[in-house]
Amino acid sequence: MKKIFSIIILVMLSMSVIKAQESSTIGFTPSSYYTFSWNTTFPIGDLNKWVDQPGPAGFDFGGRYIIKNGLTAGFNIAWQRVSKIYDAQTYTIPDKGVAITARNYRFTWMVPFQAVIAYHLRPDRLISPYLGLGIGGDYMEHHLMIQEYDIYETYWDFSLTPEIGILAKFGQFSSWGALLAFNYKWTTNRIKIYETTSSDLQMLNLKVGIVLTIR
Amino acid sequence: MKTKLIFLIMGLGLMFTVSCTKYPPASDRLLEDLAIITQYDTKIDFNNYHTYSLPTSITKITDKDTTQVTGSTASAILDQIDKDMQSRGFLKVLATDKPDFGISVVYYQNTYVYTYSYNYWYYPYYDWYYPYYPVYYSSYTAGMLNIDLVDLLKIDPVSQKLYVRWNAYVRGLLTGDHTTLEISNSVHQAFVQTPQIKTTAN
Repeated sequence: MKKIFSIIILVMLSMSVIKAQESSTIGFTPSSYYTFSWNTTFPIGDLNKWVDQPGPAGFDFGGRYIIKNGLTAGFNIAWQRVSKIYDAQTYTIPDKGVAITARNYRFTWMVPFQAVIAYHLRPDRLISPYLGLGIGGDYMEHHLMIQEYDIYETYWDFSLTPEIGILAKFGQFSSWGALLAFNYKWTTNRIKIYETTSSDLQMLNLKVGIVLTIR
Repeated sequence: MKTKLIFLIMGLGLMFTVSCTKYPPASDRLLEDLAIITQYDTKIDFNNYHTYSLPTSITKITDKDTTQVTGSTASAILDQIDKDMQSRGFLKVLATDKPDFGISVVYYQNTYVYTYSYNYWYYPYYDWYYPYYPVYYSSYTAGMLNIDLVDLLKIDPVSQKLYVRWNAYVRGLLTGDHTTLEISNSVHQAFVQTPQIKTTAN
């Protein structure tokens, strides 16, 4: 009971700190932001059929420049990888009577490069939520490794990424802050390796990182 | 504030480093993994075949010589073939009893040697210098078990050729450290992925 009470007090205290920070202003509207974040990818759609495991290997670098009020334009460049080892996968070629069973090492690494438009709801506050949309391209390499063989294909294609996030500055006089963002990426990229033909590659990304605010 | 930032950057760096898993190199993958490749003759009906004969030993062919695979490894392979053929309805007979299928089991082991060198680009002259010394060399050994189901019913009368109706390759077998169970399972998998091999004749 004592424990529950302590937790409730702690949560209430944290809430009041967040609320206080939300209402605090930083006294200026930033001219630009630069973000660097660790990126975890959750494959969905056909990408999930290829690798059905989240990929914590990834990072993202972005820059945004205020156009007017909370509206920003900028760029995003990232590196991401999803991978999984599949034991005893069997491929068949029925008309030739062929079957192959082997351990598969599958991975896809990608380099998205996008132009970003975002609207920051309260750019002059310590905690500033935003909505964004990234439009650009993705370079993808899909690898299937069996024994000493590495079969791979590369593609350059279009991608679209709506994103929601929060920038939380460390203090009124600090240029630095934390970033927490979540996005959905749809791409026209595809996978065509052996029997795997995927044309609907989608993913969710969770970004945790730091932000540098420029006056 | 500065301390917080340093900790955050270090934390992000650590998470990123930990998240970057690396796959084993090709030579290790070859040693550890088995690939089972099978192909059967899609034009024949296995119900027309009733019996088979199995050799008592496995021939081993390497770069240098030809010997025999013996002991528990050979037993594991031959016993598993025997079990699977019987479970598919075939009857084991002696080679002298004119079997419908003869089973050939051969193990190949080859050592591949390859060389590689580093090439350099010189700015601002984009000339490619090849080969740039030193040239390195490396090698890997690959083993493969080959099981053939040879048709002894239909021998070409003119050329006296024999036809193979099913073959199975277990690539990587006996290359690294595989247990007897893994060896048996890999042979069994060759049959599992070819359900067409079965007869109701007996």
